[in-house]
Amino acid sequence: MKSLPMDLRKDTSPMPRLLRVLTVITVLGFAGTLALGLKVAGADIQQGEIQRIFYIHMPSFFGAFTAFGLTLIGGIIYLARKNETWDRIALAGVEVGLAFSLINLLTGSIWARPIWNTWWTWDPRLTSAAIMCLTYAAYLMLRAGIDDPGKRRAFMSVYGILAFVTVLITLFIIRIVPETIHPVIVGASPQNAQGGFEATSGVVIALAPSLLLWLTLMPITIIWHRVRLEARIEAMNQLKLQALSE
Amino acid sequence: MMMMRTAIRIVALIGALLTTGLVMSEDGEETTTPYFQSRALNVPILAGWEDQSGEDFAQFHLAEAEATIRAAIAPQDDIIAAVGADLNDAFGIEVGQPIYQDKVNLADGTWSVLVFDYGEETTASVMARLAGGGTVVISFVERDPAARTALLTVAQADDALDDPTPEIAFAIESLTGMSPSDLSRAESIRLPSGEWTVYAGASMSAMGMVFGNDSYVALQEGAPGNLAALAEAYNRTLLGFFITPDSSHYLALGMAVVFVILGALVGSLFWRERGLRKDLALLEQLAGEEP
Repeated sequence: MKSLPMDLRKDTSPMPRLLRVLTVITVLGFAGTLALGLKVAGADIQQGEIQRIFYIHMPSFFGAFTAFGLTLIGGIIYLARKNETWDRIALAGVEVGLAFSLINLLTGSIWARPIWNTWWTWDPRLTSAAIMCLTYAAYLMLRAGIDDPGKRRAFMSVYGILAFVTVLITLFIIRIVPETIHPVIVGASPQNAQGGFEATSGVVIALAPSLLLWLTLMPITIIWHRVRLEARIEAMNQLKLQALSE
Repeated sequence: MMMMRTAIRIVALIGALLTTGLVMSEDGEETTTPYFQSRALNVPILAGWEDQSGEDFAQFHLAEAEATIRAAIAPQDDIIAAVGADLNDAFGIEVGQPIYQDKVNLADGTWSVLVFDYGEETTASVMARLAGGGTVVISFVERDPAARTALLTVAQADDALDDPTPEIAFAIESLTGMSPSDLSRAESIRLPSGEWTVYAGASMSAMGMVFGNDSYVALQEGAPGNLAALAEAYNRTLLGFFITPDSSHYLALGMAVVFVILGALVGSLFWRERGLRKDLALLEQLAGEEP
């Protein structure tokens, strides 16, 4: 073990300038959208302050959508090209998407307590969102259980592609199953929806920047950091194996 | 270079959206129904009535009927004490024993229904319920010497019946000592709040409307001819009124969850990065020690 592998040395290089810029914009954007949602947007007179959680609840789902979408794309391209970077993107997408979908699920549950008078109900939208979370949590557990790197990458690519079905179901079920009580903000809510509110200009103006941030900057920036970290972890693991074999 | 340009465009877009949000927020909220709004109290503004509302109470006055409708949250958590304090503060009325007292269960809780009679000039009809640490008091006070008006909500004896006649009869007997047979049934009239059944007599008129499992009844002795307008305004206040719930602690919990999860996600990157650097340092140390 005379020298460190090229991968490890390359990836410990300073952060790319664009990633630095994106990180700063993301942090400032997060602070700005929080201020818009918590301070600038008016309070909902029927729901009270808890309505403001919506400015994170809905965007966080779309952030998860982007992240899981990158897992889908990463899986497809990895299977086609066998390029490990795409497998890292797929893995990073699952970790970030899972965190965002947990935020979506938990903030929704907290909103439901004062509005629906319950923390949880087996509504089609809530159930599908919970299944989506469990599906991607299982991705991480399964991935950790496969030792062979090649098999692991191929198997998890297929899993990541198939798992995206749960995202699509969660996204569209509210428009397909009329029995849901989950409100719709854009378009007509289902007949049984409870706790909806109008997308007035105040709501839209607080929501649009938040949606843009969670949909693009937050997942992409965090995933980029995670991909760089994973490259270094993989290089380190190789180095450890090399050290053990010598 | 191209990536930098993209980043600059994203910053410009977010900046523009933030600025637009700040500007539009100054334009005020869009509302379709004009409402009086205070910290928690939301009351429909009565068109044609003089708005006498203060910072924390809604009050509307109709001069020709010498009638006032008021909604306020009294700090007392005892309904009778709260009603007494509110009527005293607003109208200078010393509250005595009500001539009618009952309770009704509406969608937003159990309300006490009270009617007070202060002789020739003043009657007060009140709906009150506990809310948080205080009491919501919605009152109708009428001081027309030519009339004696009472507005009350009565639980339907038979909620399958879409007719307020039994409750109108009950109210007439309870409040006036007259018999329902002294009045003759007129035709129903359609008001914005619904279909009202009207009874009229020589010296008295009565009207009622079924909403939910309750009948909203209006009685008036004398004949100023404004009972429908008064009943409609009171009903609009009762049915349109709502309290903004204090859900701020749920928002705080939600924000805490957001920061914990995001903190765990970002923190895990730092934690793994730290572990990686330690491993790298150890391997470099081992590599350096090798002969």
